[in-house]
Amino acid sequence: MSNSPVSYEAAMAAYRLEAERPLTEQHDDKEALLRAYHPDYRADTMTALKVGPNSGEQCHRQLADVLQADARIDEADLAGASVVETDVLVIGGGGAGCAAALVAAVKGAKVLLATKLRLGDSNTVMAEGGIQASIDKEDTPQMHYDDTLKAGHQSADKKLVSQMVMDGPDVIRWMIQQGMQFDTDEFGDLLTRRAGGTSANRVCYYRDYTGLEMMRVLREAVQNSDAEVWEYSPVVELMINESGHCAGAVISNLKDCSYVQIIAKSVIIATGGIGRMHLNGFPTSNHFGATGDGLVLAYRLGAKLRDLDSFQYHPTGLAHPHHLAGTLITEGVRSAGTYLLNGKGERFVDELKPRDVVAAAILKECAEGRGIQTSDGSQGVWLDTPGLELRNPGILQQRFPKLLHLGHKAGIDPHTSPLLIYPTLHYQNGGVVIDEHGETTVPGLYCVGEASGGIHGKNRIMGNALLEIISFGRRAGRHAAERRHSKGHKRVSIDHLSRLRRELTISDMPMEQKSPMLFPDCAKFDTDVDYEGLRRNQDK
Amino acid sequence: MSQLNQVLFHENSRVGADLAAWQATIGGQGLTRALQEPEAIIPLIEAAGLRGLGGSGFPTYKKWQYVAAQPNDQDKYLICNGNEDEPGTFKDRILLQEAPHQVIEGACITALACGINRIVFYINPEQTESLAAMQTAVAQWCDSDWFDKLEQALGKPLEIRVMPSSGHYIGGEETAAIESVEGHFPFPRGKPPFPAVSGVYGKPTLINNMETLSNVSHIVRNGAEWFRALGLGEATGTKIYCLSGDVLYPGAYELPMGTPLSTLIYNYGGGMLLEKELKAVFTGGPSNTILTPKDLDVPLDYENVAARDSSLGTGAMIVISEGTGIVKRVAEYVNFFAHSSCGQCPSCKNGTFYAAQLLTRIDTGKGSRADLHALMNLCNMLPGSGRCHMLDGAMKVLQSSMHHFMDEYEQAVNR
Repeated sequence: MSNSPVSYEAAMAAYRLEAERPLTEQHDDKEALLRAYHPDYRADTMTALKVGPNSGEQCHRQLADVLQADARIDEADLAGASVVETDVLVIGGGGAGCAAALVAAVKGAKVLLATKLRLGDSNTVMAEGGIQASIDKEDTPQMHYDDTLKAGHQSADKKLVSQMVMDGPDVIRWMIQQGMQFDTDEFGDLLTRRAGGTSANRVCYYRDYTGLEMMRVLREAVQNSDAEVWEYSPVVELMINESGHCAGAVISNLKDCSYVQIIAKSVIIATGGIGRMHLNGFPTSNHFGATGDGLVLAYRLGAKLRDLDSFQYHPTGLAHPHHLAGTLITEGVRSAGTYLLNGKGERFVDELKPRDVVAAAILKECAEGRGIQTSDGSQGVWLDTPGLELRNPGILQQRFPKLLHLGHKAGIDPHTSPLLIYPTLHYQNGGVVIDEHGETTVPGLYCVGEASGGIHGKNRIMGNALLEIISFGRRAGRHAAERRHSKGHKRVSIDHLSRLRRELTISDMPMEQKSPMLFPDCAKFDTDVDYEGLRRNQDK
Repeated sequence: MSQLNQVLFHENSRVGADLAAWQATIGGQGLTRALQEPEAIIPLIEAAGLRGLGGSGFPTYKKWQYVAAQPNDQDKYLICNGNEDEPGTFKDRILLQEAPHQVIEGACITALACGINRIVFYINPEQTESLAAMQTAVAQWCDSDWFDKLEQALGKPLEIRVMPSSGHYIGGEETAAIESVEGHFPFPRGKPPFPAVSGVYGKPTLINNMETLSNVSHIVRNGAEWFRALGLGEATGTKIYCLSGDVLYPGAYELPMGTPLSTLIYNYGGGMLLEKELKAVFTGGPSNTILTPKDLDVPLDYENVAARDSSLGTGAMIVISEGTGIVKRVAEYVNFFAHSSCGQCPSCKNGTFYAAQLLTRIDTGKGSRADLHALMNLCNMLPGSGRCHMLDGAMKVLQSSMHHFMDEYEQAVNR
């Protein structure tokens, strides 16, 4: 057995199209595989938090650095900053934020949605595979519940999961009412397919850009609603009232480089994940804005977080060509029956196992010299799309137009050539602890979507993310809107920053780094500097 | 010997609502001595130099003398004032929660000295833990022998009760507290008549702060000389300073009266947060003149702080560092007063509201020069036009902020 990876060119030359490839007997213990190869289990990347509500708990080192960093603003920055009042402030313009804003506005609350970039710039649009809901006649919410808990290593919050699976069918109905399209059979019934690690056909989808279709509809609905939308308005800090409730947020207006204080009866964080922190140096499938801002904001205000050591590495991120590294290839391709092949052309894992297991198996193949190496040194394994096409002629064109588009961009034809893939940092499993209304441990502060935690435990199955953002987005929007009747805040301030700075000083932590990150390292523009691109836009 | 927490916050005092634990150490000794010689109490307090620690600094013995001088054949009231609602003040809640017996014994000795038979512990309802501790502790006293002994010594039926105040800031004002105890909205009354002559239901009434009363049993037990020696310089006793704002270790520190501001901030408060420069200190209510870095050496007692045109107030020290907008802070405080105005006096009701509105406008970048002039005019017009001192306090902090930091106001309106 050779211990060095085969080169991309040699592997491509050796590739033979075969319809059936039996899986050789697998003896790997799942837990042992994860422990040995999954990045979450690398002890050297973890550290214990020293300040804040999760003190003493394990957290990824890169995440700990931003959670325990100094704030970006000081009280002096707020002198002269204008004040805007609203009932509900939604932070984030992805699927969860839009769903929350829509429902809150329909309930009669005055809603302001502030988003770091533009409305719809999010990971929701990247979700390709579909949305889970137990609508098939062979399926039940109970099975959905069992699958979710099992894939999450039994560590998810059972109450949240049960609510989400029960919401499932209604979420699909609501989305259809909003105008979303799904793939249907000739009778107009929704088509479903099976996701990795699940026991029934439960994923509803629209081609291989379900999330994009969902976001299209949500964005139009928000634009047509009474909710006000502020674009290019990242939140740099939350505000607190005299009794420790969340009372609004400070927004940095990127267009005119000014701060605005938004006083709100309730605040909903829907800022998404952390992929752009590139944990462990992994490429990411995530959107440009996924810098973990919501976690930092909530943590500073005293909200408890959970599962900060658990992230999802999606098995099939594109590994070649280099400039597209990390781009996601939908799990739908695997659930349609595509095989994964190592450098020797052998299958090495059941492709429909949960994502963490498949990703660990790929990492194992590469580590043990059975991977395929490109000229820039990165490794991967084959995603055998020609084999799929051979077994199901026409399926790529019909079901995976986005994959073909990606192939076109990469200069590879998935009909005839396999794609080189490698796990990509995809999803933050944990996040802010919430209750059944999406409310955090800080009164008046809600958190929905990827930024929240507890629903997926330590691993998420495909299609639950789109379900979660709508299910809990709507719940949070509804509950937050009720707070509009509450008495206003007596005193609104950023006093919690003094508490943070005290704790940092006492624990002898460095204060040089500032957070939230707002933008990835590759684009370090922010409110303080003249960003060329923004100025150019302004001049127009 | 450490100067920190020598008396009121000493571990012997902070035993919680447990009468047996209180009596196991120092509890009851003061009251025993007082019962032996009630007429010696007021001269002792005078010799000790105890003063009103709720903010006035008025000599305690004088108030007591007025009440004691009233005919003894009628009910007399003692209101133990724990309404504490000022920004930056959090000492009474610690005293009430952790050392309820200290204040009750002090109140009993006070009652004995002045012939008072109706004691009311008047406590901010938002401090639920203080209320609970006091209710438990008072019940323990009422069931003990002390109650009978005291009643016998007074020769009148004795009543001790705990009462939640209305929760309004203004309810801490003496005459407003009297209205409250009578069951009315806490509208301050005009003076005279002074409460010592005609207070609750027209009866002689004494009102003291919880911290003042907490000192009484210790003075009776240890003598006036001991108490005088606790203070630094001319000052007597200790003071609980509530340190908050931009310091590393905020908190309530019991220190000798007359401890310099710099010692409080740098030795006990751990210095400025992030080692920034000190910009200003709001003292007391915060209805006082602002202290600035040149006042760091000021000994924190009534005379010395008054010599800097400010006032020690409740002992609250809200420390502000460079990088904090003064206008924003003052806007917050004046806004607090605007919300706290009882509305009796039009000048106060409208004046504080208008001033708060102008300040908010200036702070949020929407103010004009005319707004700034209007503020200055308010500072000249309003003081002295209210029935109580609340309006004066609100204007004092505004005026002094404009005196020291006019450039920040200018900057805000020139934006």
